[in-house]
Amino acid sequence: MKNLNSVFAAYLIGWAVFFGFSLTVAKRAASLKEELAQLKERLKDSAR
Amino acid sequence: MKFFSDTAALLQKEIQAEFRSHELLTTASIFILIVIVLFSFTFDPTSAESKQFGPGLLWLAFLFSASLMLQPSFLKERTNDTLSALRLAVGDPFAIFLAKLCANTIFLLVTQLLLLLVFAVFFNVNVLSIYPKLALVFFLGSFGVSTTGTALSAVSSQARMREVLLPILMLPLLVPVLIPSAEATRALFEPEHALRWDWLGILIAFDVVFLTALWLFGEYLLEE
Amino acid sequence: MAKSAIYTLLVCMLMAASAYAAFYVAPTEVTMGLVQRIFYLHAPSGMTSLAAFLVSFVGSVLYLLTRKPKWDWLAVSSAEVGVAFCTVVLLTGPIWAKPAWGVWWAWDARLTSTLVLWLLYVAFLILRTMIEDADRRAAVSAFFGVFAFLDVPLVYGSIWWWRTQHPQPVVFTSAALDPTMRKVFYLSWLSLTCLMALLIRQRYELEAAREQLRVLEHELEAR
Repeated sequence: MKNLNSVFAAYLIGWAVFFGFSLTVAKRAASLKEELAQLKERLKDSAR
Repeated sequence: MKFFSDTAALLQKEIQAEFRSHELLTTASIFILIVIVLFSFTFDPTSAESKQFGPGLLWLAFLFSASLMLQPSFLKERTNDTLSALRLAVGDPFAIFLAKLCANTIFLLVTQLLLLLVFAVFFNVNVLSIYPKLALVFFLGSFGVSTTGTALSAVSSQARMREVLLPILMLPLLVPVLIPSAEATRALFEPEHALRWDWLGILIAFDVVFLTALWLFGEYLLEE
Repeated sequence: MAKSAIYTLLVCMLMAASAYAAFYVAPTEVTMGLVQRIFYLHAPSGMTSLAAFLVSFVGSVLYLLTRKPKWDWLAVSSAEVGVAFCTVVLLTGPIWAKPAWGVWWAWDARLTSTLVLWLLYVAFLILRTMIEDADRRAAVSAFFGVFAFLDVPLVYGSIWWWRTQHPQPVVFTSAALDPTMRKVFYLSWLSLTCLMALLIRQRYELEAAREQLRVLEHELEAR
């Protein structure tokens, strides 16, 4: 059964890498969306 | 053909520049010597072990030296923007690459063959009887190092932290040169002095692949 | 929007199913026992990372030929995803090796090649951070991307031949896969490939958004 722990650990670590990657990208995408929204506001303001 | 005369002219320029200053050959040779001496402190250089570890250490020293020595290849063309002048002067931009990589192959080969003699003295290995075969292995290896190193010099000269970036780019890429070269050299050091065409085959494949890739895509590196 | 949510759900279900299969459906291997089950994550991750690097290579070549930024976005996105999958291979390898052979690392051909591959593509990503100008960065890294991928078969070939000359007892695959094992393996491979596509697209959209930001910033400056 000890060896099953290794298998669990491997899958946990593997999934952590994939999830961590996706999460990092998602966070950067969210902050970028905010910046984009702000910029669009400023452009609308300067157009007036 | 204009291409070959361009390449020959540029090659002559590169070699003459080095002959005048001797910078590259001198510093590269001293660097390899220092690395060999330092390596020899990390294990007992008796005759038996030197034949085992020696070739690998020798080629490591060559690779480290090359990753420093090839840096100026394209970097020096940034001062006074001589690169633009070169691009205007030649018909095919590949002539610039070919000339530089031929010059660099010659420089690498000269330093290597020289230091091989020093290595032979330090580690008590008889290299004179196998010198021609060793020269072949060193030539194929140097050509691969030079082709990739010259191209990557053009790459790193456009980036920040280029002094440490060039080795980072070059060394993993050159694993398929390090392994066959070290193994073929080791096989030559052995009593049978066998020339291992399986390893040389990989070196030749590497040289052909990367020379072709440089020919196809090199011009994109030289744009403004 | 709904389509991408459905696809994400599908990928999650596939990943869960393949994990379940690896733990409970696959028969226990005779020589290595339970720990061999790591194979169902370890081996397909390696193959998927290669697939991601192939996509990156295509992106690099197409960028050099067409100069359309979207190919550069594809090249960097798939390179990053490839490095992620490569990392999984390099982390699960030692977790498998320690119980199975008593060593954390064995210079086995596949693992060593994966390590060199990881270094190569990390170098690619580092190169990108060292060039500010977007167009230069795209062209220069595309060139290195081409070189890097052309190196892949040579790295695998030379390391494999080197291991053949100096063999050692550590082997990271089961020699012959029984039919159930093979099905579990394919399920795992399918789920990881779908995950790869999902992650590449997610990263690609981030890159596209950054370009949008850059364009808007330029517009604002122009006023």
